[in-house]
Amino acid sequence: MRIENKSIREINSLFQKKEIKPSELYKQVFENTAQSESVLHAHLKLFEEDNLNKVKLSDERYIKNKSLGLLDGIPIAIKDNINLKGYETTCSSKMLSNYISPYSATVINKLDEQQVLYTGKTNLDEFAMGSSTENSAYGLTRNPWNTECVPGGSSGGSAASVAARSSIAALGSDTGGSIRQPASFCGLVGFKPTYGTVSRFGLIAFASSLDQIGPITKYVDDTRIIYHSIRGFDPKDATSVSDKPVIIPSNKTAKVGVIKELMEEGVSEDAKNEVEKIIKLLKAQGIEVIEVSLPLIKLAISIYYLIAPAECSANLARFDGVRYGLRADGKTSYEMMERTRAQGFGSEVKRRILLGTYALSAGYFDAYYGKALLARKKMIDEFNQIFKQVDYLISPTTPTQAFKAGEKTSNPLEMYMSDLCTIPANLAGLPSISIPTGLSKEKLPLGVQIISKALTDDSLLDFSEMIEKEVAFKEEPSDWIK
Amino acid sequence: MQYNPTIGIETHVELKTNSKMFCRCKVVDTEEPNVSLCPTCLGLPGALPVPNKKAIEFITLLALSTNCKITKQGMFHRKNYFYPDLPKNYQISQFDLPVGINGSLKIVLNDQEAEVAIERVHMEEDTGKSTHMGTGRIDSATSTALDFNRSGVPLVEIVTKPVLKTSLEAVAYIEELRQLVLDLGISEGKLEKGNLRFDANISVANSESDVLGTKVEIKNMNSLRSLERAIDYEIERQIKALNNGEIIAQETRHWDEGKEVTKPMRSKEGSADYRYFSDPDIPNMVLDEEFVNIIKSKMPKLPYQKRLELMQTGLSIGEANILSKSNDWIVKLFHDVYSTTKNSSSTYNWITGELQGQMRKVEINELPSWFKADSLSEIINLIESNKISFSSGKVILAALLVKNVTPYDVAKEQNLFQENDSEKILQIVKNVITENSEVVVRIKNGEDKLIGFLVGLIIKSSGGSINPSIAKDLLSKELEE
Repeated sequence: MRIENKSIREINSLFQKKEIKPSELYKQVFENTAQSESVLHAHLKLFEEDNLNKVKLSDERYIKNKSLGLLDGIPIAIKDNINLKGYETTCSSKMLSNYISPYSATVINKLDEQQVLYTGKTNLDEFAMGSSTENSAYGLTRNPWNTECVPGGSSGGSAASVAARSSIAALGSDTGGSIRQPASFCGLVGFKPTYGTVSRFGLIAFASSLDQIGPITKYVDDTRIIYHSIRGFDPKDATSVSDKPVIIPSNKTAKVGVIKELMEEGVSEDAKNEVEKIIKLLKAQGIEVIEVSLPLIKLAISIYYLIAPAECSANLARFDGVRYGLRADGKTSYEMMERTRAQGFGSEVKRRILLGTYALSAGYFDAYYGKALLARKKMIDEFNQIFKQVDYLISPTTPTQAFKAGEKTSNPLEMYMSDLCTIPANLAGLPSISIPTGLSKEKLPLGVQIISKALTDDSLLDFSEMIEKEVAFKEEPSDWIK
Repeated sequence: MQYNPTIGIETHVELKTNSKMFCRCKVVDTEEPNVSLCPTCLGLPGALPVPNKKAIEFITLLALSTNCKITKQGMFHRKNYFYPDLPKNYQISQFDLPVGINGSLKIVLNDQEAEVAIERVHMEEDTGKSTHMGTGRIDSATSTALDFNRSGVPLVEIVTKPVLKTSLEAVAYIEELRQLVLDLGISEGKLEKGNLRFDANISVANSESDVLGTKVEIKNMNSLRSLERAIDYEIERQIKALNNGEIIAQETRHWDEGKEVTKPMRSKEGSADYRYFSDPDIPNMVLDEEFVNIIKSKMPKLPYQKRLELMQTGLSIGEANILSKSNDWIVKLFHDVYSTTKNSSSTYNWITGELQGQMRKVEINELPSWFKADSLSEIINLIESNKISFSSGKVILAALLVKNVTPYDVAKEQNLFQENDSEKILQIVKNVITENSEVVVRIKNGEDKLIGFLVGLIIKSSGGSINPSIAKDLLSKELEE
């Protein structure tokens, strides 16, 4: 097996045994990138040259048996809304085309402890707003499985980078499915941890109460390794939690609920079939699976498109040309700010800022934002009730397989529907994972989503790993990567 | 027609925490711009706010000391508006769940205690500072310089209910509030440095009407004097306008310090919609009973309590109020001196009058280290017991401020003790009468002013130590015989 197809634990073991050096793996992933990048455009910036010294030091550490951890020397791509000191963080927006961050995100500081090798910053929908990575001011990213298709979004660049073996793993951010949906479209594992378990400090905010950083990997174990490296209470993030993880006793005695509302209309037969396949497999293991109902899930998209835009309308107010980033000309300060925002933001970002501003306006607040908050609370109550009956919830990750580029760009509502299944976990702050389970007739990946109680992330990963073993998904994207 | 004014005051108090409200940047007092900054207070992408615990303690202290009801689940909100010196283009503030509500503050007005109803006490972060080049206004400036040192400094806003009636009441309220934050140790309380900044909401209504008139907000009053003048001006302006049949516009007006008038501000504020919503970056503050009790246990003596203690010595409320707003060492000196003299009136007069006056004369702000309360008590007691004259007391005090001596030593050395023994004085009186028989004749013929001349001679012949009032009494009696 090619080294870049192996799991992080396997690679690390080869490093330890000195059968291969980090520099060789590093060279390999950049060779892969050279093959695919011009077609895929997964990255906004590649750091090959920047790391040469770091790679050499990593080689030396393994030679001296002094490696810094499982991630020492592992090439990982970073979504370009996570700050890396001294490098541009553009959020795929013209607004930040020349913005260089003077500080690193907490997750980066944590990965630095193991001297992770950052391969590059990956493309995304502008400010993480989108489901296809087509809303990038720097051009769209294509799906390595079928370049006519989108890789999903907003972490589409991160998913494409891992799928094309341009990196061993990647960090993404998930506000309404932005890790899980592209992972599913690209045949990968995508994990959104419990809200608060991974610091958001240094992640450029889209919707603060929903955003969470997480990994996109080929294997559940890779996700576990990265999650364990980046999680933990951060005094710089007031919403970060110091609570201990909660453990669900055993996979064998676990009880699983199939979310009825996500197996109805609006979800493709392909997507439903994957869930059915996994249910059978679980039952064969002796695991009890029942159908459960969460009626308010049907409102999730409506709730989300009030709360997320409202928060983003304030979060993105700071981009005004005064202190950094794009600055347009203007005769007065206000004219400059207005023109900067008119020129700097793309149309989807403007749409959401307007939506959010409207939802928070005097006279409309109670009818829209206020009601959305109430509905969110009730939906969380529904989840709490359901988790008294079952340990895990299962559903499709996405209503369909990857769609074609351009197919949904003119219809925002249809685009929003592709997050139908993933949004509820964000609204409730729950851990949620997408794992690849098979291919469609069109040879496009399909996946299922599993959700569990807050803080049971470790158990969710164990449970997913069991499914992963049973499914034994071994497919690889197109043959142009050799 | 008779009109009644109604005034409400909003005051921003800058807290003296070491670090800013939502980051660990130091709060600095410097003219050098942009020296205390970080990603959070500069609103850089990805930076997050973490509330300063000390600031929350401070504001809870202020809310408790103004008898406010403490909100158990305080919440931070985002107040959205665009301004170049507001880095995030929203200010983290509080909206419907402020730290404290429905309180009151006891003040002293016209030598009587009064109470000002407090509507709310809430926490917010300060903005940066803009300097508009050219015209001084943002919409016509050639350029604007920004200093973010102040950005994120913790502020408390304390809002009164619309209950004040006069400019003097407003001034008394600010004086009391200033003393309160000083005594609580939560602010430098310097008006000239903008540690306390106040706006006034003023309306006037027909005295027979039950409803308040249209409210006008006055900004840019930088001193107590401008607060007083601006309120007086605005009340008069509104009454004149109503008498002329005009309608008062609800607006924000700017106090023009030079011209001493209020002028309407050119702004879009009338339609401002701040789109408040709870800040998703900050979990609710839990101000539970345990926390509140800890804060209560840290409560120092409040200004009104200091006043009550002073009044128990016999001082009037006016005197007690003045003393309670003096430096701590003055209040302490008063209590120490009073404890031995038991004479609050002369103790008060000596401390607030003679002592502070002489200190100004020799240009010292603090008492010399050797100066003890007992020394001042001794001076007062010597005067009270007629051992020295009042003017000798002043001489002794002056000596005590420049060298380490005791009042007794000074009195002895400068021969300031008075002769109070009537027998001895009478002997001298008699001698003087005998030696000046022709003067005595002239007095008896009606030249009364010569009595003073004889008193002078009596005092002179004793070397200046005779109690003049005793000498005068005895002389008068002798002359009558």
